[in-house]
Amino acid sequence: MALLEVNRISKRFGGLVAVNDLNLKLDKGNILGLIGPNGAGKTTAFNMISGFYKPDEGEVLFDGQRINGLRPDQICRLGIARTFQVVKPFPQLSVRDNVMVGAYNRTNKRSEARQKALEIIEFLGMQDLSETTAGSLSVAYRKRLEVAKALATNPKIILLDEAMAGLRPTETDEMIELVRQVSKQGIALLLVEHVMRVIMSLAEQIVVIHHGEKIAEGEPKQIVRDKAVIDAYLGEVEIDVKG
Amino acid sequence: MTVENSGNNHNGKFRSWLSGLLLDWDRTQMLICFFLVVLLAIAPFFISSTYYLGIIILATIYAFIGISWNIVAGFTGQLLIAHIIFLAVGAYTTIVLFNNFMISPWVGILIGGVIAALCGAIVAFITLRYGLKVDYFALFTIALMVALRTLFLKWDYVGGAVGMWFRLTNPSFDKMIFENKAPYLYIAIGLVVIGLIIQYRIYRSKMGKYFLAIREDDDAASALGVNTSQYKMIAVVIGAAMAGIGGGFYVMYVTFIEPPQVFNLGLNVEIVMAGPIIGGLGSLAGPVVGALLNKPFAEIMRGALTEGRSGSSLIVYGSFLILTIMFMPRGVTGVLHTIYRKIISQYQRKAQGDS
Repeated sequence: MALLEVNRISKRFGGLVAVNDLNLKLDKGNILGLIGPNGAGKTTAFNMISGFYKPDEGEVLFDGQRINGLRPDQICRLGIARTFQVVKPFPQLSVRDNVMVGAYNRTNKRSEARQKALEIIEFLGMQDLSETTAGSLSVAYRKRLEVAKALATNPKIILLDEAMAGLRPTETDEMIELVRQVSKQGIALLLVEHVMRVIMSLAEQIVVIHHGEKIAEGEPKQIVRDKAVIDAYLGEVEIDVKG
Repeated sequence: MTVENSGNNHNGKFRSWLSGLLLDWDRTQMLICFFLVVLLAIAPFFISSTYYLGIIILATIYAFIGISWNIVAGFTGQLLIAHIIFLAVGAYTTIVLFNNFMISPWVGILIGGVIAALCGAIVAFITLRYGLKVDYFALFTIALMVALRTLFLKWDYVGGAVGMWFRLTNPSFDKMIFENKAPYLYIAIGLVVIGLIIQYRIYRSKMGKYFLAIREDDDAASALGVNTSQYKMIAVVIGAAMAGIGGGFYVMYVTFIEPPQVFNLGLNVEIVMAGPIIGGLGSLAGPVVGALLNKPFAEIMRGALTEGRSGSSLIVYGSFLILTIMFMPRGVTGVLHTIYRKIISQYQRKAQGDS
């Protein structure tokens, strides 16, 4: 049984079908990439898994338990953490306090939460910034802080929503390495990503969606050769590059 | 350095305790509050004028009410504008229980706190159920205050438009009626000390971190496992309970209550909001520092500018508040924090230079 199973979920906003009949499967410790052009419904799918939206149809199973209909905080407590595409730090709190909020998910003790937060901050190489207020961090560090907060909740799955968007190439490389490290701890990852280089080097399986529907699924090597994917998505990228 | 420490162990212990205290801004703020509380406590020995003592007592009560609002508005960021509702509920409960049932104010005030907490739970439930956030939440509380004013004006059992006077009897401790003002001051100081401890314990706990996270970004908080509705409600209930208790004591001290007086945004600004805003909303020392500046300032202006131009003191008072918000958005405590950080970083640089 897969750790996370998304069965035929759909979401409509008025007349617009944002996600239609989507199936996903994520096994323990695996990395699944979710790609698609802008507006394909990636973030909507994310919001349904993490409890921010309720699916109109279908179900989301975590460890065999149905979780759609639960609130985001309940889903987080079960073991699914997420990051936000538009980062959401707690701007007036220090980096350490930001991460402590996550760490309190598994403990009520201040000393334990603090210890856990400091470990994670060190793991992410931000120990010199731990007293800095989150609002004054650079974009790259804000992205890292998102991962730190999610990691602090001690999840089984992390949903990363464009964690590399807006980063410089060297920063992206560091982030890829970080995500690998996270994966090595046995945490399963669902990546929504626009940067193809990231997806290709990280994901073991890729699902491509377009207009809210799955158009392809497979290993990275297969996906880049898939006709439908090239037409819908990779083709566009090529045109972008040439122009 | 080492010679000094080994030569006098007690001194070394004291120094490390003191530096541990002073290197932590939260604790330093508590130290500032403790210092102010001591000043308040010795005030009766130096001030004999009942007028000035009265101002100090009100300022102390305002400090306690300010703490209660700070927990809701400063920590969780909920715009509970008409917080004075809970003060009024506590005040009416206390006075009705005393006048009509002969229940001692010591008990009545606590019952007032419980009833205010229930009202807080109802307000929080309704606003959360219908998703009223930020400005809508603020408007809801103001509308509720206006509705309650009308209700209380028509409600004869609690005195209606005439209001209610305390049935004063001979001074007695049981009835919380004292001959001179000092005992009122010490009760108020007791409330402030309890309020400060509660506020500090909350601030340093899991609950406090969750409150701040909700203020900063409630979606991000819920993604990290924070049940935002539950914690918002807890904050409102704690704030309402404290305001109810403060209101009960307030009415014991002023001995009179009427609807236009307590269901009033003007008094709400003075008693609830001005202190924490001047002192620094969301900080630990803000409500106390602010209240002790706010109330005396308002009174001095009232005294100085009343003759011939009644109301002109309110213009000065209002301008003072606006200027504070414009030039010290983080209040007096915010300014103190900036100075504190400079001193600490210099001290640490010096310490590094020494070693």
